[in-house]
Amino acid sequence: MSGGGGLRRRLAVLGALGRLGLAEAAAYRASLAVWVLTTTFPLIALALWAGIARAGGPIGAYGEAEFVAYFVAAFLVRQLTASWVVWDLERQIRLGELSVLLLRPVHPLVHHVMTNLAALPLRLVLALPLAIVVLVAAGGIGVSTEPALLALVPLALVGGWILNFAIQAAIGCLAFWWQRSATLFEIWTCLFVVLSGYAVPTSLLPLGLDEVARLSPFHALLGFPVELLLGHLSPAEALDFLALQWGWVIVSVALARFAWGRGLRAYGAYGA
Amino acid sequence: MLSAGTSSSLGIAGAQLRLSALAALEYRVGFWSDGVVSVLWGLIGVAPLLVALDHRPDVAGWSAWELMVLTGCFMVVSGIYSALVQPALVKSMEHIRRGTLDFLLLRPADPLVLCLTAEFMPWGLLESFVGGALVVVSLVVLGVAPSVGDLGGALVVFVAGIVALYALGILALAVSFRALRLHNITTLFETLLDFARWPAGVFTGPLKAIFTFLIPFAVMTTQPAQGLLGRLDAGGIATAVATSLVLLIVARVAWVRALRSYTSASS
Repeated sequence: MSGGGGLRRRLAVLGALGRLGLAEAAAYRASLAVWVLTTTFPLIALALWAGIARAGGPIGAYGEAEFVAYFVAAFLVRQLTASWVVWDLERQIRLGELSVLLLRPVHPLVHHVMTNLAALPLRLVLALPLAIVVLVAAGGIGVSTEPALLALVPLALVGGWILNFAIQAAIGCLAFWWQRSATLFEIWTCLFVVLSGYAVPTSLLPLGLDEVARLSPFHALLGFPVELLLGHLSPAEALDFLALQWGWVIVSVALARFAWGRGLRAYGAYGA
Repeated sequence: MLSAGTSSSLGIAGAQLRLSALAALEYRVGFWSDGVVSVLWGLIGVAPLLVALDHRPDVAGWSAWELMVLTGCFMVVSGIYSALVQPALVKSMEHIRRGTLDFLLLRPADPLVLCLTAEFMPWGLLESFVGGALVVVSLVVLGVAPSVGDLGGALVVFVAGIVALYALGILALAVSFRALRLHNITTLFETLLDFARWPAGVFTGPLKAIFTFLIPFAVMTTQPAQGLLGRLDAGGIATAVATSLVLLIVARVAWVRALRSYTSASS
C-alpha cells in the first residue's frame, strides 16, 4: 500500500467518525441541549456579579458591563473547548466496552477525539442564541481591538480544547486501575470552577491567589482565552500566557499517552 | 390521622433506605466518591461568596457569618438532593427508557412512591451533616439563639423547600417519558442548584420571579436561613408553603398524565 493511499484511507476513516459523531449529536439533540444548559454556570455567575456591581458600583476593574462581557465570553469558550471523554472512557473500561473499540482499525482515543469534535457545531448552534440574547439584553460586548491579539484567539481555543481533552483522557485512563476515576475528575472540576475564572474573574481573587491561578492549567483552560478575547492582556502578556498554555498542552498530552500505554497493558492482564 | 396508603408508602421508603444503607456500607469506595467529594464541592462553592466579601462588607445585606448560615442550609438541601432525590430519578428514568418500569407498575403500591424510592446513595448525606454543623457553628459565632417560633418557622419553610425539590424531580420524571435520553436533566438541576447558595435578594427582574416561584430556591435555602436568623414573617412562610403545594399538585397531575401515555416495553 502506498503512503498516499494510506493517508486517504485515514482521512476517510476520520471523516466517517466525524459523521458518526454529528449524527449522534443530532439524534440526541434534546440531550445535547441539556448538556449545553449544564454549562450555563457562567451565565449564573453573570447574574450574581452584575447584580452586585449594579447595586454597589464596580468591583475591581469590573463594572456591570464588564461582568456581562466576561461571563458571556466564558460561556462560549467553555462550549468551544468542551469534551466528555473522561466519562465515556471510564465507562468503557469498567464495562469492557473498550474491547470493541480496540478491535477497530482506529486508535480508540482518535475515535473519541472525532466524536467529541463533531458535536461542537451543534453545541454552538444551541449556545449562540442564548449568548446573543444575553448580550443584546445587556447592550453588547467589547472585544479586543488589537487584530494581532485577536489572531491569537483561535490558537488559544485550540490549545484549550486539546488541554481539556488530554486531561480528561489521562484521568479517564486511571479507570484501568481504579473504577471510579470520574470521581478524581470531579475534584479536578472543583478546583477548575474556582481557579479558572469560571465562577470569578481571576483578577478578583484575593491574597495574590490570582498570580498562582494564572500559572495553573485551570486558567489556561478558560481564563486565558477569555481575557485574550476581551483585550485584557498586553501583547507581551498574551504571548507569555500562550506559551504557558501550550506548555501545559504538551505536558497533558504526554501524561495521557503515558497513562493510556500503561493502562492498556493492565487491561490486557484482565484477559480482556 | 395517617391513612393506610401513607403509612405503607413510608414503610416502603424506610425499607428502601435500609437496603441502600446496607449496600453503601458494603461498598465503602462510595464514602469517598459520594460523600467526601460532595462535601468538598459544597465547601469549594463558597469561593465566589468569599471573593465578593473580599470586595464588599456584605452581599445583599448578608454579613459573612450570616452567609455561612445560608451556605449550611444550602449544603443540607444539596446533600438531600444528591443522596435521596437524584439517584432515585436517575434509576427511574433508566426504568422508563428500558421499559422495565413495568416491574414497578405491577407492584401493589403507588408507582410514584416506588420511583422516588428506587435508589438512594446514603453517603451523600454526609454533606447535609456538615452543612447542619456549619449552621450551628455560624449561629454560635453570630451569637444568635433562635426562639422556638423562629425554629418552627424555619422548619416549616425547610420542609416546604424539600417538597418543592421533590415536585421538580417528579416533573423531570414526567418529561422523561417523552424525551428518553434526559437522564442528564438531573445534572442540569444540580448545576442550577448552585443558584441557591446566594441570598435570593441578589437576583432582580425575571430571575427573581423564577427563583421564587418556578424553581423556588428562595424557599429551599434563603428562607430557612432567614427563619433561623429571626427575619422571616408569617406572610413569607405562608407564601413558601403555598408555592410548594402548587408545584406539588402540578407535578402530580403531570405524572399521572405521563404515566397514562407510557406504553411499556412490550407494546
